[in-house]
Amino acid sequence: MKWVYRIISVIAACVFLVPLVWMLVVSIKQEGMKVSGLFDWFTPPYSLAVYGQIISGTKLMQWVWNSFFVAGVVTVLTVLVAAMAAYALSKIPFRFKAIMFFFILAGLLVPGEATIIPLYQVAKDMHLLNSYQGLIVTALASPMAVIVLKGFFDGIPNDLIESVQMDGGGVWKIFAVIMLPLTRPALASMAILTFIGSWNNFLWPFLSLTNDKLFTLPMGIPTLMSQYSEDYVKPMVVNTLSSIPIIILFVIFERQIIKGISLSGIKG
Amino acid sequence: MKKLRIDLQALIFLLPFLIVYVLFTIWPMIKGAQMSFYKWTLIRKMKYVGWDNFQRMFHDDQFWAAVWHSTIFVFLTTPTMIVLAIALALIANRKSKLQKLYRSAFFLPSILSVSVASYLGLFMFQPYTGFINGILHGLGILAEGKEIFWLTEPSLAWIAVAALTLWWTVGFNFILYLSAMQEIPDEIYEAASLDGAAKGQMFWRITLPMMNSITRMILMLQIIASYKVFMQIYIITGGGPLDSTRPIIQYIYQSGFKKNDLGYAATMSYMLFAILLVLSIIQYIVNNRKEAA
Repeated sequence: MKWVYRIISVIAACVFLVPLVWMLVVSIKQEGMKVSGLFDWFTPPYSLAVYGQIISGTKLMQWVWNSFFVAGVVTVLTVLVAAMAAYALSKIPFRFKAIMFFFILAGLLVPGEATIIPLYQVAKDMHLLNSYQGLIVTALASPMAVIVLKGFFDGIPNDLIESVQMDGGGVWKIFAVIMLPLTRPALASMAILTFIGSWNNFLWPFLSLTNDKLFTLPMGIPTLMSQYSEDYVKPMVVNTLSSIPIIILFVIFERQIIKGISLSGIKG
Repeated sequence: MKKLRIDLQALIFLLPFLIVYVLFTIWPMIKGAQMSFYKWTLIRKMKYVGWDNFQRMFHDDQFWAAVWHSTIFVFLTTPTMIVLAIALALIANRKSKLQKLYRSAFFLPSILSVSVASYLGLFMFQPYTGFINGILHGLGILAEGKEIFWLTEPSLAWIAVAALTLWWTVGFNFILYLSAMQEIPDEIYEAASLDGAAKGQMFWRITLPMMNSITRMILMLQIIASYKVFMQIYIITGGGPLDSTRPIIQYIYQSGFKKNDLGYAATMSYMLFAILLVLSIIQYIVNNRKEAA
Protein backbone atom coordinates (compact mmCIF):
# COMPACT_ATOMS: atom_id res chain seq x y z
CA MET A 1 0.00 0.00 0.00
CA LYS A 2 2.83 2.31 0.91
CA TRP A 3 4.39 1.74 -2.48
CA VAL A 4 1.19 2.56 -4.29
CA TYR A 5 1.12 5.92 -2.54
CA ARG A 6 4.74 6.50 -3.35
CA ILE A 7 4.35 5.70 -7.03
CA ILE A 8 1.29 7.91 -7.36
CA SER A 9 3.15 10.72 -5.60
CA VAL A 10 6.14 10.48 -7.90
CA ILE A 11 3.96 10.36 -11.00
CA ALA A 12 2.09 13.45 -9.81
CA ALA A 13 5.34 15.33 -9.24
CA CYS A 14 6.48 14.33 -12.73
CA VAL A 15 3.27 15.60 -14.31
CA PHE A 16 3.93 18.97 -12.72
CA LEU A 17 7.65 19.15 -13.45
CA VAL A 18 8.06 17.47 -16.83
CA PRO A 19 6.50 20.28 -18.88
CA LEU A 20 8.99 22.69 -17.30
CA VAL A 21 11.88 20.34 -17.96
CA TRP A 22 10.68 19.93 -21.53
CA MET A 23 10.56 23.71 -21.93
CA LEU A 24 14.11 24.00 -20.63
CA VAL A 25 15.57 21.21 -22.71
CA VAL A 26 13.89 22.23 -25.95
CA SER A 27 15.19 25.75 -25.41
CA ILE A 28 18.80 24.55 -25.52
CA LYS A 29 18.38 22.28 -28.54
CA GLN A 30 19.88 23.19 -31.84
CA GLU A 31 17.39 24.72 -34.20
CA GLY A 32 16.00 22.64 -37.04
CA MET A 33 16.56 19.23 -35.43
CA LYS A 34 14.11 16.53 -36.37
CA VAL A 35 12.15 14.98 -33.54
CA SER A 36 10.80 11.55 -34.38
CA GLY A 37 10.61 9.79 -31.00
CA LEU A 38 9.81 10.84 -27.46
CA PHE A 39 13.42 10.84 -26.32
CA ASP A 40 14.66 12.92 -29.25
CA TRP A 41 13.33 15.91 -27.34
CA PHE A 42 15.93 15.42 -24.68
CA THR A 43 19.04 14.36 -26.60
CA PRO A 44 21.96 16.55 -27.82
CA PRO A 45 23.17 18.45 -29.81
CA TYR A 46 22.56 21.38 -27.52
CA SER A 47 23.21 25.00 -28.37
CA LEU A 48 22.75 28.32 -26.67
CA ALA A 49 22.93 30.30 -29.90
CA VAL A 50 19.22 31.08 -29.92
CA TYR A 51 19.46 32.60 -26.45
CA GLY A 52 21.90 35.16 -27.85
CA GLN A 53 19.64 35.88 -30.81
CA ILE A 54 16.59 36.41 -28.62
CA ILE A 55 18.38 38.54 -26.03
CA SER A 56 20.00 40.85 -28.58
CA GLY A 57 17.42 40.68 -31.35
CA THR A 58 14.15 41.23 -29.47
CA LYS A 59 12.76 43.44 -26.74
CA LEU A 60 12.14 40.45 -24.47
CA MET A 61 14.59 41.45 -21.75
CA GLN A 62 13.08 44.94 -21.75
CA TRP A 63 9.67 43.34 -21.18
CA VAL A 64 10.99 41.19 -18.35
CA TRP A 65 12.26 44.37 -16.75
CA ASN A 66 8.97 46.19 -17.43
CA SER A 67 7.03 43.36 -15.81
CA PHE A 68 9.17 43.44 -12.70
CA PHE A 69 9.14 47.21 -12.55
CA VAL A 70 5.38 47.55 -12.93
CA ALA A 71 4.61 44.64 -10.59
CA GLY A 72 7.09 45.96 -8.02
CA VAL A 73 5.75 49.51 -8.00
CA VAL A 74 2.14 48.32 -8.04
CA THR A 75 2.82 45.98 -5.11
CA VAL A 76 4.50 48.56 -2.89
CA LEU A 77 1.94 51.27 -3.59
CA THR A 78 -1.11 48.98 -3.38
CA VAL A 79 -0.10 47.62 0.01
CA LEU A 80 0.85 51.04 1.35
CA VAL A 81 -2.35 52.71 0.17
CA ALA A 82 -4.47 49.82 1.46
CA ALA A 83 -2.68 49.74 4.81
CA MET A 84 -3.26 53.46 5.31
CA ALA A 85 -6.98 53.13 4.58
CA ALA A 86 -7.21 50.02 6.74
CA TYR A 87 -5.57 51.86 9.63
CA ALA A 88 -8.10 54.68 9.46
CA LEU A 89 -10.98 52.18 9.32
CA SER A 90 -9.59 50.15 12.17
CA LYS A 91 -8.17 52.58 14.69
CA ILE A 92 -9.24 56.18 14.01
CA PRO A 93 -12.69 56.93 15.49
CA PHE A 94 -13.96 59.25 12.75
CA ARG A 95 -17.58 59.92 11.88
CA PHE A 96 -19.27 58.07 8.96
CA LYS A 97 -16.94 55.14 9.52
CA ALA A 98 -19.64 52.54 8.87
CA ILE A 99 -20.60 54.21 5.59
CA MET A 100 -16.99 54.37 4.51
CA PHE A 101 -16.51 50.72 5.37
CA PHE A 102 -19.46 49.63 3.26
CA PHE A 103 -18.41 51.89 0.41
CA ILE A 104 -15.09 50.06 0.27
CA LEU A 105 -16.59 46.64 0.97
CA ALA A 106 -18.88 47.08 -2.04
CA GLY A 107 -15.77 47.22 -4.20
CA LEU A 108 -15.21 43.51 -3.54
CA LEU A 109 -18.22 42.82 -5.72
CA VAL A 110 -16.90 44.73 -8.74
CA PRO A 111 -14.66 42.52 -10.85
CA GLY A 112 -12.00 44.44 -12.76
CA GLU A 113 -12.99 42.69 -15.96
CA ALA A 114 -16.49 44.16 -15.78
CA THR A 115 -15.22 47.74 -15.73
CA ILE A 116 -12.42 47.37 -18.23
CA ILE A 117 -14.27 48.81 -21.22
CA PRO A 118 -15.29 52.04 -19.47
CA LEU A 119 -11.87 52.09 -17.79
CA TYR A 120 -10.37 52.30 -21.26
CA GLN A 121 -12.49 55.38 -21.97
CA VAL A 122 -11.65 56.91 -18.57
CA ALA A 123 -7.92 56.32 -19.06
CA LYS A 124 -8.12 57.73 -22.55
CA ASP A 125 -9.80 60.89 -21.25
CA MET A 126 -7.04 61.23 -18.66
CA HIS A 127 -4.29 60.60 -21.27
CA LEU A 128 -3.11 57.52 -19.39
CA LEU A 129 -3.05 55.11 -22.34
CA ASN A 130 0.35 53.89 -23.46
CA SER A 131 2.28 54.84 -20.33
CA TYR A 132 3.74 53.23 -17.23
CA GLN A 133 1.55 55.53 -15.15
CA GLY A 134 -1.53 54.14 -16.88
CA LEU A 135 -0.45 50.59 -16.09
CA ILE A 136 0.30 51.42 -12.48
CA VAL A 137 -2.32 53.84 -11.13
CA THR A 138 -5.24 51.89 -12.56
CA ALA A 139 -4.13 48.83 -10.57
CA LEU A 140 -3.72 50.36 -7.11
CA ALA A 141 -7.21 50.16 -5.63
CA SER A 142 -7.60 46.82 -3.86
CA PRO A 143 -10.64 46.77 -1.56
CA MET A 144 -9.72 43.18 -0.72
CA ALA A 145 -6.36 44.29 0.70
CA VAL A 146 -8.05 47.04 2.75
CA ILE A 147 -10.60 44.65 4.25
CA VAL A 148 -8.06 41.93 5.01
CA LEU A 149 -5.56 44.35 6.56
CA LYS A 150 -8.30 45.98 8.61
CA GLY A 151 -9.01 42.55 10.06
CA PHE A 152 -5.39 42.24 11.13
CA PHE A 153 -5.19 45.79 12.49
CA ASP A 154 -8.33 45.15 14.55
CA GLY A 155 -6.39 42.47 16.39
CA ILE A 156 -3.75 44.90 17.62
CA PRO A 157 -4.50 45.86 21.24
CA ASN A 158 -5.37 49.50 21.86
CA ASP A 159 -3.04 49.59 24.90
CA LEU A 160 -0.07 49.60 22.55
CA ILE A 161 -1.48 52.56 20.68
CA GLU A 162 -2.22 54.44 23.90
CA SER A 163 1.33 53.91 25.12
CA VAL A 164 2.67 55.59 21.99
CA GLN A 165 0.17 58.42 22.45
CA MET A 166 1.36 58.89 26.04
CA ASP A 167 4.84 59.45 24.69
CA GLY A 168 3.40 62.16 22.46
CA GLY A 169 3.35 60.09 19.26
CA GLY A 170 0.75 60.98 16.63
CA VAL A 171 -1.14 58.89 14.10
CA TRP A 172 1.82 58.64 11.73
CA LYS A 173 4.05 57.32 14.44
CA ILE A 174 1.45 54.77 15.50
CA PHE A 175 1.07 53.70 11.88
CA ALA A 176 4.80 53.35 11.26
CA VAL A 177 5.96 52.00 14.63
CA ILE A 178 3.07 49.76 15.66
CA MET A 179 0.65 48.91 12.86
CA LEU A 180 3.05 48.09 10.05
CA PRO A 181 5.70 46.14 12.00
CA LEU A 182 3.14 44.09 13.94
CA THR A 183 1.27 42.97 10.83
CA ARG A 184 4.29 42.20 8.68
CA PRO A 185 3.15 38.65 7.75
CA ALA A 186 -0.22 39.99 6.59
CA LEU A 187 1.41 42.78 4.63
CA ALA A 188 3.76 40.27 3.02
CA SER A 189 0.84 38.05 2.16
CA MET A 190 -1.00 40.91 0.45
CA ALA A 191 2.21 41.95 -1.30
CA ILE A 192 2.79 38.47 -2.72
CA LEU A 193 -0.77 38.16 -4.00
CA THR A 194 -0.63 41.64 -5.50
CA PHE A 195 2.69 40.92 -7.17
CA ILE A 196 1.47 37.70 -8.75
CA GLY A 197 -1.73 39.41 -9.86
CA SER A 198 0.18 42.21 -11.52
CA TRP A 199 2.74 39.82 -12.98
CA ASN A 200 -0.10 38.02 -14.74
CA ASN A 201 -2.20 41.00 -15.62
CA PHE A 202 -2.96 40.59 -19.27
CA LEU A 203 -6.24 42.27 -20.14
CA TRP A 204 -5.39 45.83 -19.24
CA PRO A 205 -1.93 46.02 -20.88
CA PHE A 206 -3.48 44.25 -23.86
CA LEU A 207 -6.08 47.00 -24.24
CA SER A 208 -4.11 50.03 -23.17
CA LEU A 209 -0.65 49.57 -24.72
CA THR A 210 0.38 49.90 -28.35
CA ASN A 211 3.98 51.00 -27.81
CA ASP A 212 6.04 47.81 -27.66
CA LYS A 213 8.73 49.45 -25.51
CA LEU A 214 6.22 49.46 -22.64
CA PHE A 215 4.90 45.91 -23.02
CA THR A 216 4.86 43.58 -20.04
CA LEU A 217 5.50 39.86 -20.56
CA PRO A 218 1.92 38.60 -20.82
CA MET A 219 1.40 41.14 -23.59
CA GLY A 220 4.82 40.92 -25.25
CA ILE A 221 5.25 37.17 -25.49
CA PRO A 222 2.32 36.64 -27.91
CA THR A 223 3.68 39.27 -30.31
CA LEU A 224 6.96 37.33 -30.53
CA MET A 225 5.42 33.88 -30.72
CA SER A 226 3.35 34.75 -33.76
CA GLN A 227 6.58 35.25 -35.76
CA TYR A 228 8.07 31.84 -34.98
CA SER A 229 6.87 28.96 -37.07
CA GLU A 230 9.81 26.68 -37.91
CA ASP A 231 10.19 24.74 -34.65
CA TYR A 232 9.85 25.05 -30.86
CA VAL A 233 13.33 26.20 -29.99
CA LYS A 234 12.75 29.96 -30.23
CA PRO A 235 9.37 29.85 -28.44
CA MET A 236 10.86 27.82 -25.61
CA VAL A 237 13.83 30.16 -25.32
CA VAL A 238 11.34 33.01 -24.97
CA ASN A 239 9.40 31.05 -22.36
CA THR A 240 12.53 30.12 -20.43
CA LEU A 241 14.02 33.60 -20.44
CA SER A 242 10.70 35.00 -19.25
CA SER A 243 10.49 32.50 -16.41
CA ILE A 244 14.03 32.33 -15.05
CA PRO A 245 13.89 35.56 -13.01
CA ILE A 246 10.59 34.68 -11.34
CA ILE A 247 11.74 31.11 -10.68
CA ILE A 248 14.87 32.45 -8.98
CA LEU A 249 12.69 34.75 -6.87
CA PHE A 250 10.50 31.80 -5.99
CA VAL A 251 13.44 29.67 -4.92
CA ILE A 252 14.73 32.47 -2.67
CA PHE A 253 11.37 33.39 -1.13
CA GLU A 254 9.58 30.05 -1.27
CA ARG A 255 8.89 29.89 2.46
CA GLN A 256 7.48 33.40 2.62
CA ILE A 257 5.39 32.86 -0.50
CA ILE A 258 3.87 29.63 0.80
CA LYS A 259 3.23 31.24 4.19
CA GLY A 260 1.70 34.31 2.57
CA ILE A 261 -0.75 32.23 0.58
CA SER A 262 -1.70 30.09 3.60
CA LEU A 263 -2.36 33.25 5.57
CA SER A 264 -4.72 34.62 2.92
CA GLY A 265 -6.77 31.44 3.35
CA ILE A 266 -7.11 31.80 7.08
CA LYS A 267 -8.50 35.33 6.92
CA GLY A 268 -10.57 34.76 3.81
CA MET B 1 -13.12 70.97 17.00
CA LYS B 2 -11.48 67.78 18.20
CA LYS B 3 -13.98 65.72 16.24
CA LEU B 4 -13.16 67.61 13.08
CA ARG B 5 -9.48 67.06 13.64
CA ILE B 6 -10.00 63.31 13.95
CA ASP B 7 -12.15 63.24 10.83
CA LEU B 8 -9.41 65.08 9.01
CA GLN B 9 -6.76 62.66 10.19
CA ALA B 10 -8.83 59.72 9.01
CA LEU B 11 -9.42 61.43 5.68
CA ILE B 12 -5.70 61.89 5.10
CA PHE B 13 -5.13 58.18 5.62
CA LEU B 14 -8.09 57.24 3.46
CA LEU B 15 -7.43 59.73 0.70
CA PRO B 16 -4.81 57.90 -1.41
CA PHE B 17 -6.99 54.81 -1.52
CA LEU B 18 -10.17 56.76 -2.16
CA ILE B 19 -8.62 58.64 -5.06
CA VAL B 20 -7.56 55.54 -6.99
CA TYR B 21 -10.69 53.66 -5.95
CA VAL B 22 -13.09 56.35 -7.09
CA LEU B 23 -11.19 57.19 -10.29
CA PHE B 24 -10.52 53.64 -11.51
CA THR B 25 -13.28 51.51 -10.00
CA ILE B 26 -16.31 53.63 -9.09
CA TRP B 27 -16.12 56.16 -11.91
CA PRO B 28 -15.72 53.46 -14.63
CA MET B 29 -18.79 51.72 -13.15
CA ILE B 30 -20.78 54.92 -13.61
CA LYS B 31 -19.23 55.65 -16.98
CA GLY B 32 -20.06 52.11 -18.08
CA ALA B 33 -23.71 52.63 -17.21
CA GLN B 34 -23.72 55.76 -19.34
CA MET B 35 -21.89 54.12 -22.24
CA SER B 36 -24.35 51.26 -22.39
CA PHE B 37 -27.05 53.70 -23.46
CA TYR B 38 -24.99 55.13 -26.32
CA LYS B 39 -23.59 54.19 -29.66
CA TRP B 40 -20.00 54.72 -28.60
CA THR B 41 -16.94 54.05 -30.74
CA LEU B 42 -13.23 53.94 -29.95
CA ILE B 43 -12.96 57.53 -31.16
CA ARG B 44 -15.95 59.18 -29.52
CA LYS B 45 -19.47 59.15 -28.19
CA MET B 46 -21.86 58.94 -31.16
CA LYS B 47 -25.49 59.09 -30.14
CA TYR B 48 -28.01 58.13 -27.46
CA VAL B 49 -29.74 54.87 -28.30
CA GLY B 50 -31.80 54.16 -25.17
CA TRP B 51 -32.20 50.47 -24.39
CA ASP B 52 -31.05 49.32 -27.85
CA ASN B 53 -27.79 47.79 -26.64
CA PHE B 54 -29.64 45.80 -23.98
CA GLN B 55 -32.27 44.56 -26.41
CA ARG B 56 -29.57 43.58 -28.84
CA MET B 57 -27.72 41.70 -26.10
CA PHE B 58 -30.77 39.67 -25.10
CA HIS B 59 -31.24 38.58 -28.71
CA ASP B 60 -27.54 38.08 -29.46
CA ASP B 61 -26.96 34.34 -29.86
CA GLN B 62 -23.21 34.84 -29.96
CA PHE B 63 -23.29 36.56 -26.59
CA TRP B 64 -25.28 33.78 -24.95
CA ALA B 65 -23.02 31.21 -26.60
CA ALA B 66 -20.06 32.98 -25.01
CA VAL B 67 -21.82 32.98 -21.62
CA TRP B 68 -22.43 29.28 -22.10
CA HIS B 69 -18.76 28.67 -22.97
CA SER B 70 -17.61 30.43 -19.83
CA THR B 71 -20.13 28.34 -17.90
CA ILE B 72 -18.74 25.15 -19.43
CA PHE B 73 -15.31 26.25 -18.33
CA VAL B 74 -16.59 26.85 -14.78
CA PHE B 75 -18.16 23.39 -14.60
CA LEU B 76 -15.11 21.77 -16.15
CA THR B 77 -12.49 23.34 -13.93
CA THR B 78 -14.11 24.02 -10.54
CA PRO B 79 -14.84 20.52 -9.24
CA THR B 80 -11.68 19.07 -10.79
CA MET B 81 -9.65 21.89 -9.28
CA ILE B 82 -10.94 21.15 -5.77
CA VAL B 83 -10.48 17.38 -6.06
CA LEU B 84 -6.99 17.79 -7.51
CA ALA B 85 -5.96 20.34 -4.90
CA ILE B 86 -7.07 18.03 -2.08
CA ALA B 87 -5.33 15.03 -3.67
CA LEU B 88 -2.08 16.95 -4.06
CA ALA B 89 -2.32 18.25 -0.50
CA LEU B 90 -2.74 14.66 0.73
CA ILE B 91 0.42 13.70 -1.15
CA ALA B 92 2.45 16.63 0.17
CA ASN B 93 1.13 16.17 3.71
CA ARG B 94 2.47 12.61 4.04
CA LYS B 95 5.74 12.29 5.86
CA SER B 96 8.38 11.44 3.29
CA LYS B 97 11.85 12.40 2.22
CA LEU B 98 10.41 14.06 -0.85
CA GLN B 99 7.80 16.09 1.05
CA LYS B 100 9.40 19.43 0.30
CA LEU B 101 10.01 18.54 -3.31
CA TYR B 102 6.33 17.67 -3.77
CA ARG B 103 5.27 20.98 -2.33
CA SER B 104 7.59 22.94 -4.60
CA ALA B 105 6.73 20.87 -7.66
CA PHE B 106 2.97 21.31 -7.31
CA PHE B 107 3.27 25.02 -6.75
CA LEU B 108 5.99 25.87 -9.27
CA PRO B 109 3.77 26.19 -12.39
CA SER B 110 1.66 28.80 -10.55
CA ILE B 111 4.39 31.40 -10.74
CA LEU B 112 4.70 31.22 -14.52
CA SER B 113 3.41 34.17 -16.45
CA VAL B 114 0.02 33.47 -17.98
CA SER B 115 1.44 33.66 -21.49
CA VAL B 116 4.32 31.32 -20.73
CA ALA B 117 1.92 28.73 -19.36
CA SER B 118 -0.49 29.18 -22.26
CA TYR B 119 2.16 28.84 -24.96
CA LEU B 120 3.61 25.85 -23.22
CA GLY B 121 0.12 24.34 -23.41
CA LEU B 122 -0.32 25.37 -27.03
CA PHE B 123 2.92 23.68 -28.13
CA MET B 124 2.47 20.60 -26.00
CA PHE B 125 -0.97 19.88 -27.38
CA GLN B 126 0.01 20.23 -31.07
CA PRO B 127 -0.60 17.18 -33.24
CA TYR B 128 2.41 15.53 -34.95
CA THR B 129 5.01 17.69 -33.21
CA GLY B 130 3.51 18.13 -29.76
CA PHE B 131 4.82 16.64 -26.56
CA ILE B 132 1.55 15.17 -25.29
CA ASN B 133 0.89 13.10 -28.39
CA GLY B 134 4.58 12.14 -28.28
CA ILE B 135 4.14 10.77 -24.76
CA LEU B 136 0.97 8.92 -25.75
CA HIS B 137 2.84 7.36 -28.69
CA GLY B 138 5.77 6.52 -26.46
CA LEU B 139 3.55 4.78 -23.90
CA GLY B 140 1.77 2.92 -26.65
CA ILE B 141 -1.61 4.45 -25.74
CA LEU B 142 -1.86 6.12 -29.11
CA ALA B 143 -1.22 3.85 -32.08
CA GLU B 144 1.62 4.59 -34.47
CA GLY B 145 0.56 7.00 -37.20
CA LYS B 146 -2.52 8.16 -35.33
CA GLU B 147 -2.83 11.68 -33.97
CA ILE B 148 -5.17 13.38 -31.52
CA PHE B 149 -6.16 16.82 -32.74
CA TRP B 150 -6.49 18.47 -29.35
CA LEU B 151 -7.03 22.00 -30.50
CA THR B 152 -9.30 21.61 -33.51
CA GLU B 153 -11.93 19.34 -31.98
CA PRO B 154 -14.23 21.39 -29.68
CA SER B 155 -14.57 18.87 -26.86
CA LEU B 156 -10.85 18.06 -26.94
CA ALA B 157 -9.99 21.76 -27.03
CA TRP B 158 -11.95 22.16 -23.79
CA ILE B 159 -10.02 19.32 -22.21
CA ALA B 160 -6.70 20.82 -23.31
CA VAL B 161 -7.59 24.26 -21.95
CA ALA B 162 -8.93 22.83 -18.69
CA ALA B 163 -5.89 20.58 -18.20
CA LEU B 164 -3.51 23.46 -18.78
CA THR B 165 -5.49 25.67 -16.39
CA LEU B 166 -5.45 23.03 -13.67
CA TRP B 167 -1.73 22.46 -14.07
CA TRP B 168 -1.01 26.16 -14.02
CA THR B 169 -3.32 27.35 -11.21
CA VAL B 170 -3.98 24.45 -8.85
CA GLY B 171 -0.90 25.46 -6.81
CA PHE B 172 -2.69 28.19 -4.86
CA ASN B 173 -5.58 26.01 -3.80
CA PHE B 174 -3.18 23.17 -3.07
CA ILE B 175 -1.30 25.41 -0.61
CA LEU B 176 -4.55 26.49 1.05
CA TYR B 177 -5.58 22.86 1.56
CA LEU B 178 -2.14 21.82 2.69
CA SER B 179 -2.02 24.46 5.40
CA ALA B 180 -5.59 23.63 6.43
CA MET B 181 -4.61 19.95 6.77
CA GLN B 182 -1.59 20.83 8.84
CA GLU B 183 -3.77 22.83 11.23
CA ILE B 184 -5.89 19.82 12.13
CA PRO B 185 -4.55 18.68 15.53
CA ASP B 186 -2.86 15.25 15.57
CA GLU B 187 -4.82 14.34 18.73
CA ILE B 188 -8.01 14.04 16.73
CA TYR B 189 -6.44 11.44 14.44
CA GLU B 190 -4.88 9.65 17.38
CA ALA B 191 -8.20 9.45 19.18
CA ALA B 192 -9.86 8.19 16.01
CA SER B 193 -7.25 5.50 15.46
CA LEU B 194 -7.65 4.34 19.09
CA ASP B 195 -11.32 3.92 18.28
CA GLY B 196 -10.25 1.72 15.39
CA ALA B 197 -10.96 4.10 12.52
CA ALA B 198 -9.34 3.24 9.18
CA LYS B 199 -7.30 5.78 7.22
CA GLY B 200 -9.98 6.22 4.60
CA GLN B 201 -12.64 6.78 7.25
CA MET B 202 -10.50 9.42 8.91
CA PHE B 203 -10.24 11.29 5.64
CA TRP B 204 -13.99 11.37 5.05
CA ARG B 205 -15.00 11.89 8.69
CA ILE B 206 -12.26 14.20 9.96
CA THR B 207 -10.02 15.77 7.31
CA LEU B 208 -12.67 16.72 4.79
CA PRO B 209 -15.24 18.16 7.26
CA MET B 210 -12.51 20.10 9.07
CA MET B 211 -11.62 21.82 5.81
CA ASN B 212 -15.20 22.78 5.00
CA SER B 213 -14.75 26.51 5.33
CA ILE B 214 -11.70 26.54 3.09
CA THR B 215 -13.56 24.46 0.50
CA ARG B 216 -16.43 26.93 0.49
CA MET B 217 -14.05 29.83 0.04
CA ILE B 218 -12.18 28.13 -2.82
CA LEU B 219 -15.43 27.13 -4.48
CA MET B 220 -16.63 30.71 -4.45
CA LEU B 221 -13.37 32.25 -5.66
CA GLN B 222 -12.89 29.57 -8.28
CA ILE B 223 -16.33 29.98 -9.81
CA ILE B 224 -15.92 33.72 -10.10
CA ALA B 225 -12.36 33.50 -11.41
CA SER B 226 -13.37 30.89 -13.97
CA TYR B 227 -16.16 33.07 -15.33
CA LYS B 228 -13.53 35.68 -16.08
CA VAL B 229 -11.33 33.31 -18.07
CA PHE B 230 -9.82 34.80 -21.20
CA MET B 231 -6.09 34.66 -21.78
CA GLN B 232 -5.42 30.89 -21.80
CA ILE B 233 -8.29 30.30 -24.18
CA TYR B 234 -7.30 33.25 -26.35
CA ILE B 235 -3.78 31.90 -26.80
CA ILE B 236 -4.47 28.18 -26.96
CA THR B 237 -7.59 28.03 -29.13
CA GLY B 238 -8.18 31.67 -30.04
CA GLY B 239 -11.80 30.99 -29.04
CA GLY B 240 -12.04 28.39 -31.81
CA PRO B 241 -12.61 26.05 -33.48
CA LEU B 242 -15.36 28.24 -35.00
CA ASP B 243 -15.91 30.26 -31.80
CA SER B 244 -16.87 27.09 -29.96
CA THR B 245 -14.67 27.94 -26.96
CA ARG B 246 -14.94 31.74 -27.04
CA PRO B 247 -15.58 33.01 -23.48
CA ILE B 248 -17.50 36.15 -22.43
CA ILE B 249 -14.48 38.38 -21.97
CA GLN B 250 -13.19 37.60 -25.44
CA TYR B 251 -16.55 38.42 -27.01
CA ILE B 252 -16.70 41.68 -25.06
CA TYR B 253 -13.18 42.54 -26.19
CA GLN B 254 -13.90 41.73 -29.82
CA SER B 255 -17.15 43.70 -29.85
CA GLY B 256 -15.47 46.71 -28.29
CA PHE B 257 -12.11 46.82 -29.96
CA LYS B 258 -12.42 44.81 -33.20
CA LYS B 259 -15.94 45.88 -34.09
CA ASN B 260 -15.44 49.34 -32.67
CA ASP B 261 -18.51 49.24 -30.46
CA LEU B 262 -17.58 50.23 -26.90
CA GLY B 263 -21.21 50.97 -26.01
CA TYR B 264 -22.29 47.40 -26.68
CA ALA B 265 -19.16 46.04 -25.00
CA ALA B 266 -19.96 48.09 -21.88
CA THR B 267 -23.52 46.72 -21.89
CA MET B 268 -22.26 43.14 -21.93
CA SER B 269 -19.73 43.99 -19.22
CA TYR B 270 -22.68 44.99 -17.04
CA MET B 271 -24.32 41.67 -17.75
CA LEU B 272 -21.12 39.87 -16.69
CA PHE B 273 -21.11 41.98 -13.54
CA ALA B 274 -24.74 41.02 -12.87
CA ILE B 275 -23.97 37.30 -13.32
CA LEU B 276 -21.07 37.47 -10.89
CA LEU B 277 -23.10 39.52 -8.44
CA VAL B 278 -25.92 36.97 -8.41
CA LEU B 279 -23.38 34.18 -7.85
CA SER B 280 -21.81 36.07 -4.95
CA ILE B 281 -25.21 36.66 -3.35
CA ILE B 282 -26.27 33.02 -3.74
CA GLN B 283 -22.97 31.96 -2.22
CA TYR B 284 -23.40 34.39 0.66
CA ILE B 285 -26.90 33.15 1.44
CA VAL B 286 -25.88 29.49 1.25
CA ASN B 287 -22.91 30.07 3.55
CA ASN B 288 -24.91 31.97 6.13
CA ARG B 289 -27.64 29.38 6.19
CA LYS B 290 -25.08 26.63 6.80
CA GLU B 291 -23.46 28.54 9.61
CA ALA B 292 -26.80 29.25 11.25
CA ALA B 293 -27.78 25.60 11.11
